[in-house]
Amino acid sequence: MAEERRGSWFGFGFCGFGQALGSGRGRQVHSPEPLATPGPGADVCRVSASWSYTAVVTRGGQLQLSGAAGGAAGGCRDAWASEALLLVLRAGPAVGPGPELQAWAPDSALRGEPLWTHTLVPEAGQEDAAGGKPQARALPLLPGARAYVSPRPPFYRPLAPELRARRLELGGEHALLLDEAGQVFSWGQGRHGQLGHGTLEATPEPRLLEALQGLPMAEVAAGGWHSVCVSETGDIYVWGWNESGQLALPARSLAEDGKTVAREAGRPHEGDSNMRRTVGSEDGAPAPFIAIQPFPALLDLPQGAEAAQASCGSRHTAVVTRTGELYTWGWGKYGQLGHQDTTSLDRPRRVEYFVDKRLRVRAVSCGLWNTYVYAVEKQESGQPQPRV
Amino acid sequence: WEKLNTGPWQDVHKDWRRVYAFGCLLKATCLCDEPGNAPAVAEALRVCDMGLLMGAAIHGDVLLKVAAVLQAHLRSGKRPGAAQEQPSTKKARNTGVSVPDVASERPVPRLRCPSLQQFRKQFLAPGRPVILEGVVDQWPCMTKWSLEYLQEIAGCRTVPVEVGSRYTDEDWSQTLMTVNEFISKYLRDESSDVGYLAQHQLFDQIPELKRDISIPDYCCLGDGEEDQITINAWFGPRGTVSPLHQDPQQNFLVQVIGRKYIRLYSPQESEALYPHETHLLHNTSQVDVENPDLERFPRFAEAPFLSCVLSPGEVLFIPVRYWHYVRALDLSFSVSFWWS
Repeated sequence: MAEERRGSWFGFGFCGFGQALGSGRGRQVHSPEPLATPGPGADVCRVSASWSYTAVVTRGGQLQLSGAAGGAAGGCRDAWASEALLLVLRAGPAVGPGPELQAWAPDSALRGEPLWTHTLVPEAGQEDAAGGKPQARALPLLPGARAYVSPRPPFYRPLAPELRARRLELGGEHALLLDEAGQVFSWGQGRHGQLGHGTLEATPEPRLLEALQGLPMAEVAAGGWHSVCVSETGDIYVWGWNESGQLALPARSLAEDGKTVAREAGRPHEGDSNMRRTVGSEDGAPAPFIAIQPFPALLDLPQGAEAAQASCGSRHTAVVTRTGELYTWGWGKYGQLGHQDTTSLDRPRRVEYFVDKRLRVRAVSCGLWNTYVYAVEKQESGQPQPRV
Repeated sequence: WEKLNTGPWQDVHKDWRRVYAFGCLLKATCLCDEPGNAPAVAEALRVCDMGLLMGAAIHGDVLLKVAAVLQAHLRSGKRPGAAQEQPSTKKARNTGVSVPDVASERPVPRLRCPSLQQFRKQFLAPGRPVILEGVVDQWPCMTKWSLEYLQEIAGCRTVPVEVGSRYTDEDWSQTLMTVNEFISKYLRDESSDVGYLAQHQLFDQIPELKRDISIPDYCCLGDGEEDQITINAWFGPRGTVSPLHQDPQQNFLVQVIGRKYIRLYSPQESEALYPHETHLLHNTSQVDVENPDLERFPRFAEAPFLSCVLSPGEVLFIPVRYWHYVRALDLSFSVSFWWS
């Protein structure tokens, strides 16, 4: 890891089970608050949130759970939280067997025995040497990228060797894979267009997203029923379900409720001409509302901001820009958008908290109904920070 | 709600639907805190309807009972409306209706009150369509149902409405609205959009309306139990179209209000009807029956068919998997019975 000022994590959104979010008070947090657990000074490097609990891993290898599931453990390199099971990657000894993957029942409080374990083949220097990207090859993708773990049986799922996976994300009913060449693959259910192949058919095996061929991607993120990816040049592509505006495309339900704050008067917003379609689009005139976007659509952030990383919750989306800002949109009923209210949005909106506090956002990790953000204090000199 | 939207509807675990129904019950109860607050009560009724539409039966169908109470409460607060337009006056406006030249097409045979044996032997067993006359003459719906009556009985209830010319169109969508909203938006004025209250088990949701209909006697010739028969309402303006498709059960289509033009193709002709290849639409033909693209679908021109104009009081028997295309010639209300 490059030398840099240590930052801290913030959280907002649903915390009805008392999971680590802000101060843990109340059931919802509408504006970012510093994480209270695992404790001040803890150097948290990974946050993985499921619906009812959150798992936090520190650089020192401490894993801590909060919410409907509790408990703590040491010697952990990575964790991945889901309602069905909690995955923990335990560091192996320096010599001998490699790291151990453990699957725990969330309510076990990490006591007793895990549901099952799987010892991985040790690979030389495969974790920290990933080009300064400590979150690359994160769970549920296993180190070595030969397989991944699913919360539903079969739990251990091999990947075809020719898929040189760099990153794998599991959505509600689908999966996204980013390979070393920057290509995106998807598979699973497609009823909401979340696979991006232009149909609503399910796809059992990883299938290349042809619409994105030739556009190397740097990040992928999968939500409940939608998908997002970020190109190496900082462009955002979205596809899947848009019923809560999670694709930042016009959503009928928001217009009808009259609750959207998207169309703010007086603001020079770009309007719907923003939403250009990628090559391969069959659509003619843009429809007034979009419920399902079955193939990738290009999304522009205000002021042409370039994206660095994205994360998706169940029905909301969060994007970190290269200049350290955070934009959120989609379902906001539990304050998971961080705009100090519970309105849903079908347009990207900057989270002003981090601007006001002069914080530079470096990473975002969404739970189903909440959002966790890692930010550092802004440097006075204003030199560009390395990407997380 | 998220669980209800995960996976195919038939795979959604019933327990999640029960939880949803309980949620609706609690929410409706909270909204009824102030009986004088009419908008809150209307919202509570809407919430009950959501529980009925998407939830599963709980506590002896308590949501039905709550809905009935709320409906009565709302109705008593309403002043009698101005004289409503009757469906009969709508028929006078025939401009733009393209009534097909049915006389030149092979007609569906008609029978007046055949015996069970005759129906089974001549039509059910060999899978042949027939129009039954005189079978539903005594059903209360034939005399009672009008726009006014439906608004009185079910006006405040929330129902699913299909918007768009046909479900194979790109801009087709489904939405929820009250029966009052549906009637005023899509039935009274000549709306530019087509709205169709289609394929909805309205009579499970509103038991009062179920009392106006019965079950055709001929259904007893089937294997299933009476409570397994699916009864759907089809209520919409002139011009609604159901694209050519087939269903996996026997069907009695009872016409109550208005007329429908219907074309029937035998399952033996399936190949000439070019069904979609996708799983979602594999029971639907790609051909637009009244405006077929014969370059893409050449065999369609030669496929033999039967046709009819189904009028109020008539019942069309559509054998299982028989392809059918339906277009409403007037403001129309049909009731279908799917049985096995």
